[in-house]
Amino acid sequence: MKKYIVIFSILISTVGFSQEFDKSLASARSAYSSKDLSNARFAMTQMLGVLDEAIAKEILRMLPTKMASLDYNVKEDRTTGGSGGYASGLYVNRYYGKDAKTASIEIINNSPLITTINAYLNMPMMGMGDSNQKNIKVQGYKCILKKEMPTDDGKQAYELQIPFNNTLLTLKANDTTEAEITQFANLIPLAKIATVAQ
Amino acid sequence: MRGLIILLIATFIAINSSAQFLNKLKQKAEQKAEKALDKKLGLGQEENKNSGNNQNSSGTNSGNSTSEGGARYGKSNPSNKGGGGLVSAPPDVKQNLDDAEASYKKGTYGEARYSIQQAILGVELEIGNQILKSLPDAVAGLKKDETQDEVSSNGFGWAGLTIQRKYLDNNDKQLTFLIANNAAWMAAVNTYMNMGGMAQQTNGQQNWKQTKFKGNRAIIEYSESSGYKLSVPIGQSSLLIFEGVNFNTEPDFMKAANEIDAEAIKKQLGEQ
Repeated sequence: MKKYIVIFSILISTVGFSQEFDKSLASARSAYSSKDLSNARFAMTQMLGVLDEAIAKEILRMLPTKMASLDYNVKEDRTTGGSGGYASGLYVNRYYGKDAKTASIEIINNSPLITTINAYLNMPMMGMGDSNQKNIKVQGYKCILKKEMPTDDGKQAYELQIPFNNTLLTLKANDTTEAEITQFANLIPLAKIATVAQ
Repeated sequence: MRGLIILLIATFIAINSSAQFLNKLKQKAEQKAEKALDKKLGLGQEENKNSGNNQNSSGTNSGNSTSEGGARYGKSNPSNKGGGGLVSAPPDVKQNLDDAEASYKKGTYGEARYSIQQAILGVELEIGNQILKSLPDAVAGLKKDETQDEVSSNGFGWAGLTIQRKYLDNNDKQLTFLIANNAAWMAAVNTYMNMGGMAQQTNGQQNWKQTKFKGNRAIIEYSESSGYKLSVPIGQSSLLIFEGVNFNTEPDFMKAANEIDAEAIKKQLGEQ
């Protein structure tokens, strides 16, 4: 039943995107033909938002529904096409697990962190001296693995940042180990996401 | 003991001179090898022409062929002598909209997004050029310098359009006018606007203050080295910046800035 609800909502949202895209496209063409450049630009930025939302939904479909023993929380899935005026790019967020043992995936396009992360990945000297951070490779992609401060009850959290060109994927996991978060990361179809997000 | 010292010194000199000899021999061998290689590659003649300069400038590193600006095999890379530059072609807006529609129908959203960004880039460049055309030919006796006109955009829409025009004379007096349709810059200016405590004052000489420009709140700054600067946020996401060099007084500078029709620019940018 849950599966059918997901498929149905995907169909509904796809039809919605299509109508919104067509409407904005018609407005952009009409405004541009009549030399109303500012309104043509506004309609185009609306289209960017629709596309980012569509891309975000497509990425959500690619993400695993289970991280080892952790099920995803369908109600907490978040996608945003953020180019509705002041910021551009897509945003995807999925949560897994309950209580203390949880994980999350966040994908942001045009993230301001990208430059810093790439600098860390490509200049090993920058990360030297921080024993809680190291560079690793997952599915051939260079990433930064960070060991967070343990919680009061001694549970350990990790964060893995994987940049693809102008997109940043961040995987976070609580009550976990380095081996387990790497295992989680290997469940994510990184190459497919990188292609779609660009 | 004395004999031992003399023997040690003699040995040191002998080793040193033998090392120098070996080093020279090595350099000679490398030079011969490079010449032979250049000859094979047909680079020998040009190298001979340049060799005098190279030896003088590279000094003791003459044997190191990569020491001069990335030169390889003892020869500098050729400098470009023309090629006409890039063809100035702003993106075709209609074509990019068609491409975006086709990509969207195929479900290749990334391609559709790229086409839309190109279309936005095309429209923003047109807006920028229209605004530049609408600006006056002269301001406060300073003539426009069209060679320094600039329009730039990143194609993201509402986040990165900048337009620049310079007015100048032959006496180092200059007014630079910049229009930025850029939300990030707006945030910085609005921070200044909303924090009255950020006013600056040095030894009784105020170098920063809030003012008004054609009814809009604005910030005016002065620096001995760079002159006057007026920043005026307009609408929701645009900023006008005037920079005046060698203006005698603040009223002179403000009078020059007032010759720009801010309302017309606001309208062209689609701002409220």
